[in-house]
This record gives sequence, structure tokens and C-alpha cells, in this order.
Amino acid sequence: MSKFLECIGVGKIYPGKTEPVEALRGIDFTCDAGDFVCLLGRSGCGKSTLLQMVAGLEKPTSGQIVIANRELDGPSPEAAIVFQDHGLFPWMTVQKNVEFNMKARGVLAAERRATATQFIEMTSLTGFADRYPHELSGGMRQRVGIARALTTRPKALLMDEPFGALDAQTRGKLQDEVLQIWEKQRTTVLFVTHSIDEALLLADRILVFSPRPGRIAADIKVDLPRPRTSQSPGFVALARELRGLVGADREID
Amino acid sequence: MQFRRALGLLPLALLLLAWELAVQAKVYPPVLLPPPAKVLMVFIDDWDTVLGNALASISRVAVGISLAFLFAVPLGLMIGRYRLLDTMTDWSIQIFRSIPPIALIPMALLFLGIGDKPAIALIFLAGTWPLLINTIFGVRGIERTLLKVAKAARASEFLVMKDIILPAALPAIFTGLRLAVGGGWLTVVTAEMIAVKSGLGYMILNAQLTFRSDLIIAGIIVIGAIGLLADQAVRMVRAHVCRWQEGLTASPE
Ligand SMILES: Nc1ncnc2c1ncn2[C@@H]1O[C@H](COP(=O)(O)OP(=O)(O)O)[C@@H](O)[C@H]1O
Ligand SMILES: [Mg+2]
Repeated sequence: MSKFLECIGVGKIYPGKTEPVEALRGIDFTCDAGDFVCLLGRSGCGKSTLLQMVAGLEKPTSGQIVIANRELDGPSPEAAIVFQDHGLFPWMTVQKNVEFNMKARGVLAAERRATATQFIEMTSLTGFADRYPHELSGGMRQRVGIARALTTRPKALLMDEPFGALDAQTRGKLQDEVLQIWEKQRTTVLFVTHSIDEALLLADRILVFSPRPGRIAADIKVDLPRPRTSQSPGFVALARELRGLVGADREID
Repeated sequence: MQFRRALGLLPLALLLLAWELAVQAKVYPPVLLPPPAKVLMVFIDDWDTVLGNALASISRVAVGISLAFLFAVPLGLMIGRYRLLDTMTDWSIQIFRSIPPIALIPMALLFLGIGDKPAIALIFLAGTWPLLINTIFGVRGIERTLLKVAKAARASEFLVMKDIILPAALPAIFTGLRLAVGGGWLTVVTAEMIAVKSGLGYMILNAQLTFRSDLIIAGIIVIGAIGLLADQAVRMVRAHVCRWQEGLTASPE
């Protein structure tokens, strides 16, 4: 396993409306290719900020981010991002939405269509290719977002609370699907969540964030065998430990 | 639905009735206030005059508003997208748009003489500001996540404009187009009373000089009817082009 992603002393200070906001300070971590890493913490800890910096959408104000031995300067072709609010284009059909990232790279129409169809199938969206996003349920919309992210076969899949707005049942189903995709594609996943259970079900490793300014408070390895459930041995003990680290309050379930 | 819309013609029917009663009661001499039946005869006896002048007015508006569209929409997309351009133009736009095109008739005559040119120039101005302002507004309203998706996908600026900014702004652009067509239609009638020797505005002003009040009233009816039809036409095109919006926004019906 090689080091795939490195954050070295990464900090971010937003200008802010009235005074500067220090969202992150001194973030140091590396992760190997193929890892499933969850970023866990209450809202306001800077998890989204870190993910957006790894996606190249925001610039760190200090430190550096290295992906596949190259210092990041803007969005990397190796990464793809999935947002909580889907980020689907309402005027494009499912098919066109899934094709967008490829279109941005200049992939030819015929190849776009074929690849999109393949990922539409993988995310169980077959039959919905000609629908518009507003005709789909929340879970299906998020599948479209995931399918779109996969089309460029990214080495890093960045997901920002992708299932945060879904009901428990849909959420559980999509978690399983993401694990299947991860096992099949062998991509590195950075997955932001504020749910301890979700982090424990998914991650090889959990980075626990603490707020003001956002820092990594703990780096927990999750060795539980897969497939996991919340009844897996060891799950409850880890959950209790994490609850303590996160500084449990009602926000965290 | 269409039938219920037609109920909106009720006040007009009452006006027609009052008109007929006023004629019967001889409130004004027939030279001033001809009976409705006589005005109806205009459409049979003088149909070529009415049609010719109506076509002249319509084509001026079509040319003027098309030019305004080609100018204001791309400009509005740019201003909406780039903060710097906005800062550099905002106040000027606010000032220009508060000048009624009619106030510019004397200038237009001085510089462009009598004919199509000053009329089209004034319609162009009447259409430019609502189109420009609504286009800018439409671009502003775009969901930020969508731009992040595009940036993360490393989409070219051209693709962002064509596939994201333009479609996102289209509903607002059509709102602007409706206002522009309405404003252009008001302007053409006024401009034709002064700056050209054809068109519905010219026709009714000329009818006053020859004491043809039936022709005046017929002209007013045609102006109103075309205004209504033009507005409906823009609405229909909008409904077709912005089909993806169905079910996304609350419809007034
Ligand atoms: N664009 C921005 N401008 C100013 N402050 C921001 C911006 N984005 C996030 N912040 C602030 O940075 C902090 C971390 O936010 P965020 O990364 O969204 O945290 P999380 O995803 O963990 O909830 C918060 O205090 C938030 O208000
Ligand atoms: Mg967040």
C-alpha cells in the first residue's frame, strides 16, 4: 500500500463577514490507496472545509495537500465529489447528469453514453435515464450523484454527508451499495458524516474532529470484520469510545 | 382552463356594453364616438390598412427585441458570472433603466432621422434593460453546489456558461423577455406617432387628423389584441423550453 493522500499542516481561515473564521488548524494525516476513511464530528468542525480542500474547491491558507505525489493546485482529475444536496442539474435528465463529468473532460458522446449506462446500471437506476431529477426520490437522486462521480473512475471518492438527508431505511441501503462499489472499484473514499453508527459501519479508519478551530482529535482504526451491523461484536464498545471523543450531545446519534 | 381565462374578458365586455349604450343615448356625436358596428366595419373595409400597419409595428418590435436579446442576454450572463463586471456596471444600469425610452425620442430623431431606425433603436432600449436585469438576476440565483460540481469536474468556462449558467438563468430570462416584449410594444406605438410614417401608432394619429374615430378605435383594439397574443406566445415558448421546471415551482393555477 502506498501513501495516496497527504495533508501536511493544513489550515484554513475564511475571511468571514465581520471577522476571520478559523475553520481548521494543523491538519496532518496520510491515507493509503484504497482506504475507506470517515471524517466524524459535530457540525462546524470543518469537515466539509477539509473535503472541499481535498477536492480542490477551496485553497488551504496554510500547509499543503498532496494527492498521488502531486501537490494539489485546484481540482484533481483523480478525485470526484458527492454532495449532500446532490448537486444535480435540474434541467438535465439522469443520463445527461451522469454524463456531465465526462463531458467536462471532452469524452466523446458515444463513449459517454456507454459509460453512463454502465454506471446507471451499477447504481440501480436502469429505467430512469430519461427522468428529470425532480421526478426522483431523495435516495435515487443521491444514486445519480454517485453514478456521476464514478464515471471518471476516480482514485479518490469524496463524499460530504451524502446520506444525511435520507430516511434510515434508504440510508442503510445506500451504505451497503457504497461498500459494494468501494470493494469493486477499490477507490479511496473520504466520507464525511456526523453519525457514529454510519462511520463504524463504513470506515477502516475514523478521523474524529473537534471544533473551534477544527482539529483532528483522534485517529481510530476500525478492525471490525465486514459485513458489519450495529450488533457486530466490538461495535458497541467502539461506539461508546467515539461518543466520548466526539463530545456526545444530541446532535450526534 | 382556457375557458376560465376567457372570463378575464368580462370587464372588456362591460366596457363594450357601456359604449353601445352611450352611442344609443347620443352622449357624443357619432363623428366622435362611432357605434361598435361601425368600428367592426373597419376590419372589413380597411383591412389592408390595418394589416399593413400592424405588420409594420410587429416587425419593428421583432427586430428591436431580437437585437436587445442578442445584446442583453450574453452581457447579462457575463455580468452575473463575474463580480468585477457587476461592480463596474451596476449603477450605470440602474440609471439607464430609469430613463423612459420615450424621453429619448428627440435624440433618436436628431441622430437617426425619421424612419425605422429611430423606432427600432428605442424598442431596443426598451427591451434591453428588463432583459439585462432579469438575466443577471437569473445567474445570481443559481444553486452554489452546481457551480462546485462543475469546478470539481474541471469543466471549461464555455461549458459552464452553456450547460449550467444559461439553463439556470432561462426562466428569469423569459420573465425578462415578457417584460421586454410588453415594453417594446408600448414603445413602438409611441415612437410611430412621432418618428415614422407607418405602423399602428402612425395610423391612429393620422386617423385623428382625418376625423376617422372608427379607425382610431379599431387601431386601439388591434394594439391591445396583439399585446395579449405576444405575451401568450412568450409564455408558451417559456413553458416548452423550461419543461424541466414543472413541479419544481409553485404554479399560479
Ligand atoms: N465559505 C465560508 N465562509 C466563511 N466561513 C465558513 C465558510 N464555510 C464554512 N465556514 C465556517 O467554517 C467552520 C467549519 O465549517 P464546515 O467546514 O462547514 O464544518 P462541518 O462540515 O464540519 O459542519 C464553521 O464555523 C463555518 O461557519
Ligand atoms: Mg458539513
